[in-house]
Amino acid sequence: MIETDFPILSGLVAWPLLAALSVAVCRHAQLAKMLALTAASIELLLSIAAVQQFNPANEAFQLVESYLWIPTLNIRFLLGIDGIAVLLLPATALLMLMAIGTAWRTQTLTRLHWVLLLLLESCMMGVFSALDMVLFFFFWQLTLPPLFFLLGLWGIGPMRRSAATKHTFFMLFSSMPLLLAIALLAINHASGAGGVDSRHLSFNLPVLLETPLPEPLQPAVFFLLLLAFAVKVPLVPFHTWLPTVALEGPAHITALLTGLTLGIFGVIRFALPLAPSAAVEYSWLLGLLGAISLAYAALIALHQTNLRVLLAYACISQAGLILIGIASLNMQGIQGALLQMVNFPLVAGSLMMIAGFLHQRIASTELAHIGGLAKLMPQLTRCYLLLAFASLGMPGAGGFPAGLLLLIGSLMAHPSLGIMSLVGVVLSAAYLLTFTRRFFFGPVNKTLSKHIQDLLVREKYILCIPLLLLLWLGFFPNSVLKVNQKTAEVWLTRLLMQPKLEGEVADSRQTGQWP
Amino acid sequence: MDALVLLIPFLPLCAALIIGVAASSGLLDEKASAHLNADIAIGATGLSCLMALALSVGDWLGKTSGYFSVGQWLGSDTLDIRINFISSGFPVWLAAVFALLLWLVGWQASHDPQRGAGGQRFFFILCLFAAAIQTLVLSANMIGTLAGWQISGWCAYLLVGYAYGTPAATGNACRVFIAQQIGTIGLLIGISLCYIWLDNVNWARLALATEDLGIGQATGVSLCFTWAAFALSAQLPFTPWLARAMPTAMPASPVIMSHAGIYLLWQLHPVFEQSPFARAVLGIVGVLTALYCSIIGLTQTDYKNGLAYATAGQLGLMFLEAALGWWQIMAGHCCLHVLLRCLQCLRADDKAQRTAAPQIPAPPIPSVIAGIGNRYWAFTSSLQGFWLEPIIDWALVNPVRKMAQDLCYFDSQIIDRLMGSPEPAIRTLATFAQHDETFSETSYSGIPNGFALGNGLAGKLAQWAATLMHGFEDRFVTRGLGSGSIHWLRKMGYAANRFELVIIRPRYLVLFVGITFLVAF
Repeated sequence: MIETDFPILSGLVAWPLLAALSVAVCRHAQLAKMLALTAASIELLLSIAAVQQFNPANEAFQLVESYLWIPTLNIRFLLGIDGIAVLLLPATALLMLMAIGTAWRTQTLTRLHWVLLLLLESCMMGVFSALDMVLFFFFWQLTLPPLFFLLGLWGIGPMRRSAATKHTFFMLFSSMPLLLAIALLAINHASGAGGVDSRHLSFNLPVLLETPLPEPLQPAVFFLLLLAFAVKVPLVPFHTWLPTVALEGPAHITALLTGLTLGIFGVIRFALPLAPSAAVEYSWLLGLLGAISLAYAALIALHQTNLRVLLAYACISQAGLILIGIASLNMQGIQGALLQMVNFPLVAGSLMMIAGFLHQRIASTELAHIGGLAKLMPQLTRCYLLLAFASLGMPGAGGFPAGLLLLIGSLMAHPSLGIMSLVGVVLSAAYLLTFTRRFFFGPVNKTLSKHIQDLLVREKYILCIPLLLLLWLGFFPNSVLKVNQKTAEVWLTRLLMQPKLEGEVADSRQTGQWP
Repeated sequence: MDALVLLIPFLPLCAALIIGVAASSGLLDEKASAHLNADIAIGATGLSCLMALALSVGDWLGKTSGYFSVGQWLGSDTLDIRINFISSGFPVWLAAVFALLLWLVGWQASHDPQRGAGGQRFFFILCLFAAAIQTLVLSANMIGTLAGWQISGWCAYLLVGYAYGTPAATGNACRVFIAQQIGTIGLLIGISLCYIWLDNVNWARLALATEDLGIGQATGVSLCFTWAAFALSAQLPFTPWLARAMPTAMPASPVIMSHAGIYLLWQLHPVFEQSPFARAVLGIVGVLTALYCSIIGLTQTDYKNGLAYATAGQLGLMFLEAALGWWQIMAGHCCLHVLLRCLQCLRADDKAQRTAAPQIPAPPIPSVIAGIGNRYWAFTSSLQGFWLEPIIDWALVNPVRKMAQDLCYFDSQIIDRLMGSPEPAIRTLATFAQHDETFSETSYSGIPNGFALGNGLAGKLAQWAATLMHGFEDRFVTRGLGSGSIHWLRKMGYAANRFELVIIRPRYLVLFVGITFLVAF
């Protein structure tokens, strides 16, 4: 672990909190909004500074900060990043900035809204940089109250409160197995270190990664962690919260939820490396779950009539593809997944924000109310088409190298899952283009006003930034792959060349086999 | 000299970017800048054409080394994908033909008085298509070819759906694009197999290492690329896409694109030499397509449709030439044929412009050979394209649609309810007031005890467990085996019957068989 002199990660977590406090005490609504925007912009600059300080040639956790938090349980305020998390910090900050920009003109938003957004940003930064399991759990759970209020108070559907409740219940349900897995890991460490005692407990991720987990315990930890993160990804059948939230929640919050791949991050960061033996043994199951989600969500998306719900199912389907890549357990698969995790917030978030722009103008994203938008809103249609093409893996955009790596990785490891992924790609083209045809092309719906405002300058800027970044990722994918290459190698080595437990080594010596 | 190859796709790409950025940012007014857009496009495609011709001459004089690399594009483990190009041989000659044709298309379009509004879009797509098709042909690795194919597929989508206010045009565009996507499955699997077996994705490496491949491996690779070539060259069963793509703003584009399939075969000819089975498949499908298109071509009433089927038929003959190992003849046939067909397309467009009509009026049904013309069933079959598209829809599209419908029902009625979710009220409630009236007072009529209501998985499980126990108590313990239990058992029987009826539907049987094959694979 490489520690840092300047606590930049603590700054990333604390800065939005401080900004939230200042917004909370600010009495002028316009000023509060300006403060939130400024704070989010500074947060983005800070996250870029963190990326600049990160050394891709070193595979260890970097920018590490460690402070004792709860001494009796040996819980530390331990922050750090590696190649997996480093690019997710600016992605989160950028998406948050875009979300604030999208909600800029919404009249009903109060100071509380901006406070909650900044709190959420702080927690998300904490989730991506926490290296102590309890601290991770703390930030993970802390994302729920802001989301509950943001969805429940400023949702756009009549069932927004139910949607907020549903989301919270699902996440609470997922937290149970997560907590149990954390406890099992800590107890295992304690028993290995000399007895189940609070002094020997450890929640420190780098320590737990080096602590071998007994074979009987591995499947339990793996499946508990997988269950916890499968709800967040979301995977079928735990996906139903996402379409509901997409339909009822505000578009900019849904963009955050769909764009930020917290669940997939959890799978890569915790579920597989902490139970490596089970991860290798059940990688096929992980891939199968991904394939089921991919095909299931793509087929359901074929039948959707609402743009926001369609995008929600498209996100579930894409998440399935990423999971297939992870399950391939090879460099192409994992690097494709990491590249897609950077690409995904830009595409999915931007598309959801376009849905938000439409809802602001037409008060609906339902096919029954909309048709022939290309004639009325050519600029919005252009942006939508570019992003839709990018989401389908158009060469020149970030989805192409990411998709290519995922498909090659999966075809190498699990050919049948790879073929399934290819079918999923065709299905995704079918649902997106069929919907686009009915929504944007064809004759203009008679119920639509002929004078709908096309994209405003502010909205153009919001969409231009991700589009330019997508082009950058498409033309220069190595700029991202080099950042995570060392980490990906270590991650794979940890899974495929696992150290044996002392007892198992002794057993193998007795039987004459090499451990 | 070799560096010229980079400019062939790069110049049209730059032109596309300039036109696209100018259009999106509003820097140039569409009508005012019509001539400027045309000039940029013609200039870029013209220069690209000159570069291609210069490179061809250089190749003829032996001044090229055959390869030019810009640098690495993507690297992951041993996967090394470079931006590299071929600067000699058939690809360069084919690129020169394509570049010449695309310049002619641009030149003709710039003189089209009908173009008017939308010209910006047309010239943007033209330049992008030129860059894509040249990348497809000139790339020295399979990923470049794939990228070129994908972008030209997108351009085809935009061109076929050019008149986006017309549902037929956008429907055709979707079908054309999805047909191309199905083809890319073969290409992607082929690329993966090459990487797994040869650890490389360069065409040159594949040609050199064919002897390292066993006959089974060679057949596997060949068949994957054959599938892609069938899709690209509109061979059976992909033939209908070409006819659907012809009523486009640039009819020469699908014709050019379809000839790229022959290029794929040419690149793979050393592998095909290793696999008699793959060559047999090429030959059989090629002959069948040629026959199919010949018969259908006899009854076409539209000039462009006739051209489409004539093109696909000739491409079938090229596949036959490949099967027979006549690679040089196939290459020559390809270059000359694309030139001829594109000139015919341009002539058709020119005629349409001169008559100042948006479409050529359908001519009367031509006289067809007696064998078809005198037989109603033969004539109808030919006119309907032997119902190939309806058959594909029946066998593939409709089952997928119905499966989507079934899954949608399953998701909303079973999974969503199982997970303890409220149904989106938007379906049942018209206003917020109605919603508040219904739900705010929590008047859950018909449910005796509000405490027993659950939400979320745990809540619902608890609620269901309580209801189940209550039902058991009520029906079996309190009342004994009365009418209630029989009623519920009957309902369960109906449900089981319904489930059985669903799973024996052909689409699910096919799906189960497919899954079995996938698992076995």
